[in-house]
Formats: sequence, structure tokens, C-alpha cells
Amino acid sequence: MAVCAAIIGKDNSPKYFTCINPDEELGFQYKVLSSLDVVEEKLNNGTKSGSDSRELYLGLLYSLERHKIYGYVTNTKIKFIIVIDSTNTSLRDNEVRSMFRKLHSIYADNVCNPFYIPDEPINSKSFDKSVKNIMSGA
Amino acid sequence: MSRSSTRFDTKKVNSELVTLTYGSLVAQMVKDVENPDDVNKQLDRLGYNMGIRLVEDFLAKTGSGRCLDLKDTADKIQTAFRMYLGVQPNVANWSSAGDEFSFVIDSNPLTDLVELPEDLKSLRYCNIICGAIRGALEMVQLDIQSWIVQDQLKGDANTEIRVKFIRKLEDAIPAGEE
Amino acid sequence: MDDTLFEFIHSEIVNYVVDSNIRTKDEEEDLSNLEYIGFSVGYKIIERLTREMPRFKDELDTMKFICTDFWSAIYKKQMDNLRTNHQGVYVLQDNEFKFLTRMSNGKQYLDLAPRYVAFTCGVIRGSLANLGIHCLVTAEVQNMPACKFHIQVQRN
Repeated sequence: MAVCAAIIGKDNSPKYFTCINPDEELGFQYKVLSSLDVVEEKLNNGTKSGSDSRELYLGLLYSLERHKIYGYVTNTKIKFIIVIDSTNTSLRDNEVRSMFRKLHSIYADNVCNPFYIPDEPINSKSFDKSVKNIMSGA
Repeated sequence: MSRSSTRFDTKKVNSELVTLTYGSLVAQMVKDVENPDDVNKQLDRLGYNMGIRLVEDFLAKTGSGRCLDLKDTADKIQTAFRMYLGVQPNVANWSSAGDEFSFVIDSNPLTDLVELPEDLKSLRYCNIICGAIRGALEMVQLDIQSWIVQDQLKGDANTEIRVKFIRKLEDAIPAGEE
Repeated sequence: MDDTLFEFIHSEIVNYVVDSNIRTKDEEEDLSNLEYIGFSVGYKIIERLTREMPRFKDELDTMKFICTDFWSAIYKKQMDNLRTNHQGVYVLQDNEFKFLTRMSNGKQYLDLAPRYVAFTCGVIRGSLANLGIHCLVTAEVQNMPACKFHIQVQRN
């Protein structure tokens, strides 16, 4: 389902990054980083209008010819980015939302490992495995 | 104050709080004390101190009397596990002489979410439990040894804690004088 | 599950930190490790607690959450009072702070009070830090078991 997933820390530096096709890694890294401006914009607009934009899921950030980029920001200011292949038209918004929630859940579990130091990049193998499961829609 | 007071599942938070507090303590000890073996000893001693207090709390809350034999003791500790950690271990693997047995735990809340770093493979993360059993039983005049046989943090299927009876301590309070 | 274990672990942590101090030096008691253990607990637990929650409106909204839901989840009661000067200073008051309820009043006990509040100062600081609010947290105990937590937000 998803072709790339990234976790960006409070300071906007990547804490975790993975994509299905390693050859495209650089391109995806660029796409993810440039989507962060849209995230900031959405967050700022959210606080201004104040209404029901307090949801953690930000929805579609922008769409390119071949990819759609979605965003989610936790209460602890961690940004999750998921890239979906545009040809995958059957994927509904709710499914993307659910991927983010699962990602958030394993992220919170990882933070709770007493040996994980906050703000460090995530190197755990079991975390990596869980993310790949989530990306494949499991 | 507008938000309601019961947003969270208190039971779950309680268990997470214990897990996280214990985890943060172990992480701090690992920083303070370089040798994991020394951390193991510290954890055991800390558990021992807790066991001494826990047994009082346990007896007061359950009103349970003197242990009849080692099987009865094992059952009572099993109840204590459920009260304090929210898990019920199996009592298993009795030795033929009946002086040794194990507590087998499928999912140990203390190690929930813990992943041991490669350089800490000799850390016995759950040693606090062994210490607590030893401390608690010493208060009821039983001298025992306790150690970890299987450890889920090291890839074992269960956590198994062994208890071996050594001797009865002699300065026991005479029966009926509780 | 019973919350006795949390209390007992807390007091063992206090003993551990206090004992390891005596070995190194005997000047003023250094409780920074105790505070740091609390920081780490607060930082981690807030990650889980706020997982299903909508975004906070502002700083005051966050403080209210600490006083109500958060405090009840951890200490089984809400804070009794929250005051602010609207310039980054908040005073949270718990009239029956859990870790002080078993201590009697009296000068010699009052002197020990810092040991029983340091962990919790850390918990508050850690949870706020993870929510993006960096602050200093100190505690003031005048009349046990009441405790006032002073939060000074660091603006940059």
C-alpha cells in the first residue's frame, strides 16, 4: 500500500525513514522534507481558525503525478509522513488514517522502551519490522 | 476545569506507570553503575527491600494466615503477583524433593515494551522480582534462593523464576501469637 | 491492579538516589538523578496518554490537562488549584500530595520533603517538555501533605 514512511522529530530532523524501493530513497527523502512546509502551514492555519482542526491526522499534504503524500502530527510534535502510490486509487482516506494511528501506536511503544533515548534516531529492528507490516496494509 | 476526570483507563495507566518508573530506574542504574552484574545485585537488593514491605501489605490486605507448606506458599505468592503486577503466573516445574518450583509468566508487564541493547545482554532486568520474593519470604521465616531461569528479554518464550527452599528460620514467632 | 507497587518503587528510587549520593559527597543533597528519573517517566507516559487526544488549544489548555486527567491518572486525584500570571508562571496545588500523606508534620520531616517531591517535579517537567513546553519545575512544601508545584515556562 504505502511506498514510503518517515518520522520527523521535533527539530525537523528525520528519526526514521524507510521506503519499499531502496533505489528511490533519495527522491523520497526530498519529497518528505519538502512536505514539512505544508505540515507547518496546516498546523498554523489550524491554530488560527481554532475550530475542529485539532485532529492529529492532517490528511493529504499534496499530490504529485505518481505519488500522494499524507501527514500526521502527534501532540508531542512528532511528524509522520506516508507516501502512497497514486495508481492505488482504491485506498480510502480512512485506511490512510488507520495506518497513521498504527504507526503512532508503535512509535509510542518505542519511546517507552527504557533504553530508548528521546530524540535519537530509531534503530530498533522490531520497530522496523512493524512499520513494514503497517505499510503493506497488514 | 472543564475536562472530565476519567479520560483514561486508570488500571492500564497504573500498570504502565509501574513499568515506566521501573524502566527509568534500571536505565539510570545502568548509567550509574558500569558493570551489569552490579546492576543485577542492586536490583535484587532493591527487590528484597520491597518484598519486606510488600509482605506486610499483602498480609494486611488479604488477611491470610501462616503458610502450611511450600505449595501453599507458592499459591500465596501467585496471588500476590496478581494483586501487585496484574498477572497470574503458573506454578510449575516442582523438583521431585518438593523443595524447588518455578513461576512461569507468559506476558510480564515489567518487560512490556523493553528491548535490551546488545551490550546489556547480561543484565537481569527482572531481578527485582527474585529479590522481592526472597525479602517477602524471609519475613515469614523462610530462607529461599530465587533466580531467573528463562527470560523473554533474551528471546525465551516465557519468563521463568525459580524458587528454592533452603531452610526455616528459627526465630519464628510462636504459633498463635501473631 | 493495586497502586501500592508504584508507591513502593518510588520510595526505593528515593532510597537508591539518596544512598548513591552519600557515597560520593556529603554537601547539599543532590536530587537531580531523582528528578531525571521522573523526567523520563513523564516524557514517556505522556506519549502514550496523548495518543488518542485532540491537539491542545494552547499552553493553558495543556496545564489544565496536567491538573485534571493527567494528575488523576497518576495520583488518583485532581490538582486542587491552578493559578497563573498569564506570563508563563503556573502554580499547581495539590492539598493531599500522595507521596507526602504518610509523613507527619514537623521540622525534621519537612526537611526530608524535597526527596518526596523531586521525582514528581521531574514527571511534570518531562511531560510538558514532550508536549513542547520547556520549563523549570520546583516544589514548595509548607504544610504537609499539601504541595505547590511552581512551573516557570522558558521562552526563547
